[in-house]
Amino acid sequence: MTGELAAPHPVLGAVVVLGVLLVGTAIVTTADAVVADRVARRGLDLRASLVRPWRRIALSLVRPQPATERPDWGLWVLAPAAYVGMAAMAVSVLPLGTDWAVADVRTGIVVLGSAEVLAMVAVYLHGWAPNSPLSLVGAYRFVAAGLSFLLLSMFVLIAAALPAESMSLGRIVASQQEGAWNVLRQPLGLPLFLVVALSVSLHGPLDMADGTDLATGTVAESSGPARLAWEFGRRAMLTAYALATAVVFLAGPAGPVLPGWAWLAVKTVAVAVVLVWCGHRLGRIGIQRYVRIAWTVLLPLSFLHLAISGVAALA
Amino acid sequence: MTGLAVDIAFWTFAVAAAWFGWRVFRTDSMVRATFCLLASFLNVGAIMVLLLAEYLGVAMFFMMSVEMVVMAIFMVAFMMNPAGLNPMEMVHQPRAAIAVGIGAAVGLGVVAVVADLPPAALLDEAGTIRALGNELMGASMLLMEVVGVTLVATMVGAVVLSSASGRYGSADTGSVPPLLDPDDPDSRPDLVSADGEGDAHAGHGGHGGHGGHG
Repeated sequence: MTGELAAPHPVLGAVVVLGVLLVGTAIVTTADAVVADRVARRGLDLRASLVRPWRRIALSLVRPQPATERPDWGLWVLAPAAYVGMAAMAVSVLPLGTDWAVADVRTGIVVLGSAEVLAMVAVYLHGWAPNSPLSLVGAYRFVAAGLSFLLLSMFVLIAAALPAESMSLGRIVASQQEGAWNVLRQPLGLPLFLVVALSVSLHGPLDMADGTDLATGTVAESSGPARLAWEFGRRAMLTAYALATAVVFLAGPAGPVLPGWAWLAVKTVAVAVVLVWCGHRLGRIGIQRYVRIAWTVLLPLSFLHLAISGVAALA
Repeated sequence: MTGLAVDIAFWTFAVAAAWFGWRVFRTDSMVRATFCLLASFLNVGAIMVLLLAEYLGVAMFFMMSVEMVVMAIFMVAFMMNPAGLNPMEMVHQPRAAIAVGIGAAVGLGVVAVVADLPPAALLDEAGTIRALGNELMGASMLLMEVVGVTLVATMVGAVVLSSASGRYGSADTGSVPPLLDPDDPDSRPDLVSADGEGDAHAGHGGHGGHGGHG
């Protein structure tokens, strides 16, 4: 069932995944505050940027949750948990060191794809559950986006699996160490995958579910701990996809001198900062334009990418 | 995993799959029914992973998830009540369905228990799988390719036909909203912008939101 990389005991593995998501979320939150201040040129008081997000988190813990008319409480509570769970599922199949992963299964990229699709289900249900118009619009909008970017993600991941001759992410890293990093030999893949990462983690210009143009969409009716849980989920998902980007395109833990996990951390944080920066620098895109560009420009590009990668892998 | 852990996991997934399958017909909302069905499928997928049919199990996760999301949206879109959110009955001809369901469950159960199934994976000594592969990728390759290209062309054609913008501009150019009151010619709502972009429906208000999930 497992690929080549060693796996820790399942309990330890679960703790590691949770740890990765928590640390990643803390880093993304901090990076977000710092980048926001830099972009807004709001003075360069680093201490203020570092403290502000944690104050907001502490404040939101004491806010009450308002009730809407006949919501589906069960789904409303479960949706953020499912979303975080999908981020955890994605992290569990990624190599976290030179020779180990929580579960380096042979079907790694299919599990990654499943996490993405089930995240779409979680976002949809999170918007549907409160029984409120703006949340519902956010939910449907995200499904429209989701059906567009899921195909992109699939083709990009299949292209990465071609030179590795395996769907295991451990093998994908190994094939990059033997040959060149995927960012070099599959140059179209990285930008396409960053689009997927921003979309699935509901960040920046591609945040179709929770955009401020919908008064924060699926979270419009959430407050207090419920909102905090959802915000944690978004950042956990960003962490998971930054990690996946680092593994699939930047050879994950490969690198000289430093241990594998340290290289992976450096690359992941770099990708996460790029994603956060995109979120603050690029303008929001409307859903019609998003879907049109995804189907008429990005999807053909991903076909081309797959064809080029296939020919390159055969050569 | 050890034997006991596998047994516990199997029974958990099996009971959950059956329970969610039952819930499909007991909820009163299309969306809930759809996602109960998805939950049932996910548990079946997990059982397949337990049976070491790893790819099939995981493929079931993502294929069924996309399918169910699309199904939920289409079912809601084609419901008579606003956004499909009003309570509704999830069963048709329940008596016949119960009889067929019990019959199928008993029949398949008997087969599973009585049949002499091989305890481990069999080697393909007769070469059946290889022959099938050769047939699909050899002599019938042209046929399969033609079928594949035809399917893609059909899908592209369907998208083009259903697309809001066409060769002569937006598909709803010149269309007129119906009268709100059939006897009053002045009750026609204002024409919405026909450029096909954005808020063609914004003026009608109240999509979703009303009616509750029931």
